[in-house]
Amino acid sequence: MSKGDVAHESGRGGVDLSAPLRAAAGSAVEDEATTTRRPAAVRGRLESFPYLALLPALIVISLLTIYPLIYSVDLALHKNVLTQPNRHPFVGLENFSEALGNPALHRSVARTAGFVVLTVGGSVFLGVPIALLLNEKFLGAKVLQVLILIPWAIPPVMAGIIWRWMFAGNVGVINGALYSLGLIDNYFSFFGNPATAPLTVAVALLWKDLPLAVILLLATLQVIPGELYDAAKIDGGGAWAQFRYITLPFLRPALTVVLIFQTIISFVTFDLIFAMTGGGPADATTFVAWYTYNEIFTNLNLGRGAALAFAIGAVTLVMAVFYFLALRSERLYTDK
Amino acid sequence: MTNSKRLLAILLGLFLIIPGGLVAQDATQLDFTIWTFDVEQVQGYIDAFEETAPGVEVTLSDVDWGQYHDTLVAQFVAGTGPDVMYASDHWLQEWASAGWLVPLNTVFPAEAVEELTAGMFPYTLQGMSYNGEIYGLPYYSDPISFVYNTRLYEEAGITEPAEDWDDVLEHARAIKAAGLVQYPIGFGWSQDEPFSIEVVTAMLMSRGDEFFDENLNPTFVTAEGEPIMDSALAQHIIWVKTAVDEGLMDPESLTRDGVADGQSVMAGTQAYGMSRASGLAAWQDPATSGEAGNLAMIPIPGPTHETLGFVRFYAVTSKLAERDEAAQEAAWQFMQYFGGPGPDGSYPVVRQWALKWGLGFGPVPLYEDEQIREAFGVWGDVNLLEETAMTARARRLSPWYASWDVFTRAELQRAYLGQISAEEALVNIANSWNELRAEYEQG
Repeated sequence: MSKGDVAHESGRGGVDLSAPLRAAAGSAVEDEATTTRRPAAVRGRLESFPYLALLPALIVISLLTIYPLIYSVDLALHKNVLTQPNRHPFVGLENFSEALGNPALHRSVARTAGFVVLTVGGSVFLGVPIALLLNEKFLGAKVLQVLILIPWAIPPVMAGIIWRWMFAGNVGVINGALYSLGLIDNYFSFFGNPATAPLTVAVALLWKDLPLAVILLLATLQVIPGELYDAAKIDGGGAWAQFRYITLPFLRPALTVVLIFQTIISFVTFDLIFAMTGGGPADATTFVAWYTYNEIFTNLNLGRGAALAFAIGAVTLVMAVFYFLALRSERLYTDK
Repeated sequence: MTNSKRLLAILLGLFLIIPGGLVAQDATQLDFTIWTFDVEQVQGYIDAFEETAPGVEVTLSDVDWGQYHDTLVAQFVAGTGPDVMYASDHWLQEWASAGWLVPLNTVFPAEAVEELTAGMFPYTLQGMSYNGEIYGLPYYSDPISFVYNTRLYEEAGITEPAEDWDDVLEHARAIKAAGLVQYPIGFGWSQDEPFSIEVVTAMLMSRGDEFFDENLNPTFVTAEGEPIMDSALAQHIIWVKTAVDEGLMDPESLTRDGVADGQSVMAGTQAYGMSRASGLAAWQDPATSGEAGNLAMIPIPGPTHETLGFVRFYAVTSKLAERDEAAQEAAWQFMQYFGGPGPDGSYPVVRQWALKWGLGFGPVPLYEDEQIREAFGVWGDVNLLEETAMTARARRLSPWYASWDVFTRAELQRAYLGQISAEEALVNIANSWNELRAEYEQG
């Protein structure tokens, strides 16, 4: 049985959803016919009504989105350092070239990429087995499904503080446990070591966000028809074959969502760094979001910060497009 | 209740409420912003001040120390800054050149200001001055001090305290070798700890130099930008890297603040501590410190033993300068009460901070105050404290210092950890300074 077969099979016998749509379209045609018989003034008012109805929303969106966007473009094209409030010369693309040409940003991007790979990989490789486990019927499974959501409901800064204490050098419970088990003679400084500091943030992020991935995957697992597994068993398919040819194809849409969401969440991680490492030691946890924060709020260079924000926006947009393309329904259940 | 009685009650209520409202409207309001430290005590001072200054009402706001600079800058830009506020020497030039803080003599009587600031320690006055004008009265001012644990020295068989930084390494090796503590050396150098650059500057001063010369040129690179490896900064980086590589310095030093560092000193898990001199008051308090009585302050190790003195002070803003005479008069009374001798010449606030927390002060004559000498004597050597305050130096600052400082904290850490060489760090730190300077001077 191929993935395509399973997917095709699952699409059979569905309800014809186009019938109500056709009925609605017919009704709209009738309404149109009625409208054409109305006087011109009334017709004009009716035609302008949708625009008037949209106007409040447009105003709000303009104020909250379009104006700040235009203002950000203006900021990015001018020198704008808060501590020099009266000097804002036009500098063209200089802010972009300075921001993007800074070696510190290149280091930050490289570190961020490593962090994203680590956390996204962790989400998938931990999320799938946990979801599979929670999908099994055993005593307390339902309770566990609820409990697992608790970390996700904790605010990121709180999570950061919790993990800061857990990983702390001479008073942290992790060091205490390692010492009690005889694995270390003296405490290990997780935050003082540039190799382990990013790992602590990754652990905290996974602890915080893995539940969402698990629940998304679990929700998908629970709608896979049991008959498919029965059929696979009859055909002699083992556990791996069932996972490979039934579970995994069904999980693809949820996995795609998990991958993309986790990528974006990891890419813009800020709160945990704020609470746990402050970007250090040195620049070991200065990921892109933290770097941008420093540029804007510590160096108070709004022009360069706006330029950086556009760069981050562009990367996020690329991810969003990828997300959109990857989730197109016709690609989800095929081998394409 | 009859209608007439109800009407009477309403009229009586209005009679009681309206005059109160009128009085409140007549009072001169002052907005006062501080960083978060003993806020209740500050409110107590405000209440006491208001009793001495009828018609003045002070509204207190506090902001976390780590976020203070950024928050206040945002307020200045938005035009919502306070009238009077805590400020620090290392932000003064940036804020004064932006026009957010104003010299005291532009809003207060110039002669009185001069008289008030005449008897200050030199570093205190220097730290509050920019372009020859004075911008504040001290909240507290302290030299950076060096403290060692006498118990650990005794147990390690070390008889003399460290004279220079090589001694510190040698002694730390002995303490570690004796199995007394895992990391004898430690600091509070997290990147969001503003104290970190002050401690580093003090370490450079004790080696006979600092980051910049009198023309504000980096002292650690040549005019051509080549690193000078026998400069104080190069020697400092090499010293810290040695301490890190040999496992003598706690790696947590790079991610914790001064408070956490102090906790290690008080727990006896660290043989040395560097902090403001008044920090020793808490470190020697048996109620909070396991090493109370075992900690001794000595002149900061190094060939010159010089150290940095810093000042945090009460400053007035351009917002106050634009207000009417009554507000400025109220602020003047406030400044004299909080940073000066007050109405009765007793230095009501400065003195209380010294007695309660051991905070250092600006006025030299306060070292003659018997109560202060007695209080300081409980935790430290008063003569050494006074002598250190007399010889401490303010560092050379600039309007772009704050931005440079943030970059430098991270760059120094990269060098300490060996991610870049000391040479690279010197060049990068100098380049950052020169770029910011050029950017500032170009406008």
